[in-house]
Amino acid sequence: MSSVVTMVKGFVNGRAVEVPAGTTILDAAKKVQVNIPTLCKHADLLPSAGCGICIVKAKGNRKMLRACCTPFENGMDIVTHDPEIVKTRITVLELILSNHPTDCLICGRNNDCELQKIAADFGIRDDRFQRILAEIPADNSKGTIILDPKKCIKCGRCIDACQNMQDVWALSFIDRGFKTRISPAGDIKLSESPCVSCGQCSAHCPTGAIFEHDDTRKVWEALQDPEKYCVVQVAPAVRVAVGEGFGYPVGTNLTKKLYALFRRLGFKAVFDTNFAADLTIMEEAAEFVERFVHGKGPLPLITSCCPAWVDYMEKYYGDMIQHFSTAKSPHEMLGVMSKTYYAQKKNIDPSKIVNVSVMPCTAKKYEITRVEEMFASGYQDVDIVITTRELIRMIKQAGVEFESLADEDADLILGDYAGAGTIFGATGGVMEAALRTAYYNVTGENLKDVNFKDVRGLDGVKETEVDVKGTKVRIAVAHGLANVKYVMEKVKAAQKNNEPLPYHFIEVMACPGGCVGGGGQPYMVTDEIRKQRAKGLYDEDEAMEVRCSHDNPHIQQIYKEFLEKPLSEKAHHLLHTQYKSRPLYVK
Amino acid sequence: MKRILIQDTTGNLKKEKRDLHISFSTQIRDRGLTDQVQVVMASDLGVYDRGLAVKVLPEGVIYGGVELKHIPDIIEKTIVKGEKVEELVVERKNKQMRIVLRHCGVVDPESFEDYVAHDGYQGLAKALEMGPEKVIEEMKKSGLRGRGGAGFPTWLKWNLTRGVKGDEKFIICNGDEGDPGAYMDRSVLEGDPHSVIEGMMIGAIAVGATRGFFYIRAEYPLAVERVQKAIDQCYAKGILGKNIFATGFSFDIEIRLGAGAFVCGEETALIASIEGLRGYPRPRPPFPSVKGLWGKPTVINNVETLANVAYILLHGGESFGRVGTEGSKGTKVFALTGKVRNSGLVEVPMGITLREIVFDIGGGVLDNRQIKAIQTGGPSGGVIPEQFFDAPVGYEELQKLGSIMGSGGMIVMDENDCMVDISKFYLGFCVDESCGKCAPCRVGGTQMLHILNQISEGKGQIEDLKKLSEIAHAMQKASLCGLGQTAPNPVLSTLKYFEKEYLAHVLDKKCPSGKCASLVTYLITKESCTGCGMCARVCPANAITGNRQEKYTIDPDKCISCGQCYEVCKFGAVLRQ
Amino acid sequence: MGISKEDLYKMKDETLGKRPGNWIRVGYSTCGIAAGADEVFRILEEEAKTRKLDVKIQKCGCLGLCSAEPLVEVNVEGVPHVFYGKVTKDAAHKIMDEHVCQKRLVENHIYEI
Repeated sequence: MSSVVTMVKGFVNGRAVEVPAGTTILDAAKKVQVNIPTLCKHADLLPSAGCGICIVKAKGNRKMLRACCTPFENGMDIVTHDPEIVKTRITVLELILSNHPTDCLICGRNNDCELQKIAADFGIRDDRFQRILAEIPADNSKGTIILDPKKCIKCGRCIDACQNMQDVWALSFIDRGFKTRISPAGDIKLSESPCVSCGQCSAHCPTGAIFEHDDTRKVWEALQDPEKYCVVQVAPAVRVAVGEGFGYPVGTNLTKKLYALFRRLGFKAVFDTNFAADLTIMEEAAEFVERFVHGKGPLPLITSCCPAWVDYMEKYYGDMIQHFSTAKSPHEMLGVMSKTYYAQKKNIDPSKIVNVSVMPCTAKKYEITRVEEMFASGYQDVDIVITTRELIRMIKQAGVEFESLADEDADLILGDYAGAGTIFGATGGVMEAALRTAYYNVTGENLKDVNFKDVRGLDGVKETEVDVKGTKVRIAVAHGLANVKYVMEKVKAAQKNNEPLPYHFIEVMACPGGCVGGGGQPYMVTDEIRKQRAKGLYDEDEAMEVRCSHDNPHIQQIYKEFLEKPLSEKAHHLLHTQYKSRPLYVK
Repeated sequence: MKRILIQDTTGNLKKEKRDLHISFSTQIRDRGLTDQVQVVMASDLGVYDRGLAVKVLPEGVIYGGVELKHIPDIIEKTIVKGEKVEELVVERKNKQMRIVLRHCGVVDPESFEDYVAHDGYQGLAKALEMGPEKVIEEMKKSGLRGRGGAGFPTWLKWNLTRGVKGDEKFIICNGDEGDPGAYMDRSVLEGDPHSVIEGMMIGAIAVGATRGFFYIRAEYPLAVERVQKAIDQCYAKGILGKNIFATGFSFDIEIRLGAGAFVCGEETALIASIEGLRGYPRPRPPFPSVKGLWGKPTVINNVETLANVAYILLHGGESFGRVGTEGSKGTKVFALTGKVRNSGLVEVPMGITLREIVFDIGGGVLDNRQIKAIQTGGPSGGVIPEQFFDAPVGYEELQKLGSIMGSGGMIVMDENDCMVDISKFYLGFCVDESCGKCAPCRVGGTQMLHILNQISEGKGQIEDLKKLSEIAHAMQKASLCGLGQTAPNPVLSTLKYFEKEYLAHVLDKKCPSGKCASLVTYLITKESCTGCGMCARVCPANAITGNRQEKYTIDPDKCISCGQCYEVCKFGAVLRQ
Repeated sequence: MGISKEDLYKMKDETLGKRPGNWIRVGYSTCGIAAGADEVFRILEEEAKTRKLDVKIQKCGCLGLCSAEPLVEVNVEGVPHVFYGKVTKDAAHKIMDEHVCQKRLVENHIYEI
């Protein structure tokens, strides 16, 4: 279906501009290299029109318009910068600053703060207005993200992300006027709210008002403790995003540089979550075949490697628990393998091992103590989770010239992976990886073409059919929690009406784009950035010799030496977990 | 039987009024007319500042400036012969004109039949016969503009909504009246709910809406009760529901309660509120006429606007359009309050002067104090000083004076009202009621209020006045909705007309009106003090001590400058400085 | 089936035909009720009932003269039609006693507006 795009013509600062109807003035101005400053607009989100910085004049209109949300119209003659506009912008900015603390030096967003940047750009040099601050204590009840309403400029991005992008509805504005602040409705703590720790709020916050719980000190302490044996693993999506902190083009895959870095930081063993992703696939694909071919367990099977999704499902779809794959997420699998298999092999006291996961995700901080199965090794399987953003800070603190490090390899045998493991970091990746192995499990042979292009890309819900030697497997991939509803309701409706299942296998990742767009990734993510990061992973997969998890020789070895076979009793004990329905609000 | 009504129009001729009453009665008795004439004291004859006034019924003739010497003449000519005493006659023109309030105080608001007896629902019947185009045409002829404040032509609003394609359209009656001191809408909803329902239905025909919502603030329980009762009556009679008047037109109405947020009077915030969301305004475009309630084309009209509609349909747009000025047609209801003798609702034709409203209808200032200004348009409006009172009432006319028509609040201020204090009041209202969404309004209002507080406490600097204007400008230009854009208006207009008062606060640290407590001191002069002790009795801070011999004194450390002693002292012994 | 346009006219005529000759209206909006219209209305009704007077006591909305509430409009044959403002309990009794029964205007409450 093709629709005719209507174009509108007008002027911005005297230069002719032609854009498709519906384009905002903000975007139209970019066509003629004009950047209109704004504090609240984020490319990912609907304009909230809150900050009042992006005001422009349209000739013939006595009001100033907000460029972020006003469509550019035929015949418009826009002025973006004149003395009156700039003066007004400065006053508005000064007003915002008068309601913001000045403790930038000890703020988590120091040097990476949109408010700080715009204040610097505008050359604000004095406090002309009385600083009026509300004394609201920070909410650190969740242990994953911290709410510090003092630093909030009420742009509303977090709320849009939480309510509309993620459909979680943990955050909202409460109170009004000058007392307006972000909080879970009813002024309860975040831990008592429906929050699933996806961290999209923190990834979109322009200031330090929502911030990941910083665990870097714990890592430093462990690294400095001679008694400890520090083991690190890095998630797929981290390797294609960490470079953004060091000026690399978006999507640059820095896997091997990261391995080198970890050794410089003092880690005794450097593993890769991608290896464990292969392990997850072995278990999950086996699970799928059990259900699909042998009818042992209900369909559709739903993936469970995303902890925010797990939390969301337990809160919003407690009645669908039996559909969840019981396979643990990759980094948890690696954590338990490190303290059992690896410790035995290397003869290390597992109580001395400190497992550190570097994740694109804030919810992983919650996952590591989620249920008792996360202590399957007899110890806490993963001890510390840091996000990509925390890692970038650690690298900078460590004084390592990251860019100049020579490539190194991960430690065997929990470090080598197939292409299937690396694409876990993008939406559709788990499904694609699982299908590669499930196909093999069912047919006994590998796919001719292992690429499932239909499940890639940024469409919110991707539905397709896979032909497994004549049997159709219907699948769906959803990312961004707001897109889950469509898929789940379809399943529920079919169940209710006794109709054929719409899907046999469903992949869900909580964050838009999957883990590459995770809540712990570098700031200012857009769909373009998500695509580039995903491309970094798909390119790596493409270039690899071993594309399927079951072909990974080290996976084969670990089953042979330790786990026996997928879904064995040992595998169940170590690699699987369970779920329970949880209330949305905890009293 | 004739009746002589006597009234003191000035408020300070109590003794003279009594004397007049006695003399009239005596002379009537002396002439043997007692059985034919009743002399009574009246409270209000609708004339003001005419000394003692006398009205004779049933003739209805009014005499002003009546003194004892006029009595024989009045009895002889008017009572006995039925003639007028020409030199005393006061022509009293009724300057009010009732269109919106045509049924208020006349019909029983809880009776469907009573409304029908006053031509109720005939406008609706007519509109159904005419069809949408002709209804809008009629509205265009009438020139009716929105009475909620902005004055957008009603026909145009309807036509825009009509022109948008949609499977479902809504019409909303905005009854979230929130300006301090304004209650026109409440009165109409309580006194004549059916006419608003009828107006809404005619609007629905014009735009093609099938569902209507009354958004009424929850603080108006009686209005809600009466509107609900009226809706129920309509359903019972088949005026609402399916196939109304067997024309195929179907329409439903529901009431939604506003939870008391002023900003929910702003149309996009109101829509959010009905949808069950936080009452936040959203950027326009898209306008509600394109994307309104639940994303559907929606027209939102104010209560007073809708109360005009049935009248226009029934009497024709042209006849309505003959009332008022070129740009502002029809009448406007004002809630006249403050330091005015007759506070209440007045409905006047557009084009009437402010002076006529305040003095001829309102009866002038309470206690004969000196008038200073009036404030119109509520917290979005401004003050208009007395020198502009001859300006005609109209949307553009009031805007030129730095105020606005607004929804119809009109507050009279006298010499005791301090303009810094007034600014603080209105701005404080907007600061309290700001939704908090956009920074210019949320922080700007708070900062301005902070500066005004400093000024009223004598801590103001001359630069503060510049800061006030700067923030005001930023708020006007960069706020998202009307609340923030207009919130600085009361400050700006007082600064414009009463800069001297601000300067007195800032430079001399004095409040000329004696309102700002921090800048006022009270003391008692021994010469005038009679030692009556009234001041000590009313002092809430126990700051006044003394006795009959030694007189009374105020302890400045304890005094909270409330001014009660000043008000209560009959001997002028308490001085305010 | 709902009423028709013709029913509307019929209802109008019927209602007008049933109009009482003598009536008293009490302003019964928030302003009036706040000023005591409830009590005034009760007294007027009671008096009319006990004295068996031919006068209908009705409720109406606010006429606008809020400062004069409770406002009572009296239309009784043989006495000029007047408004009484700031009607107290005492004044309410007087209205029935003096105005309605004795056909004399009540002192100090007349608002000839």
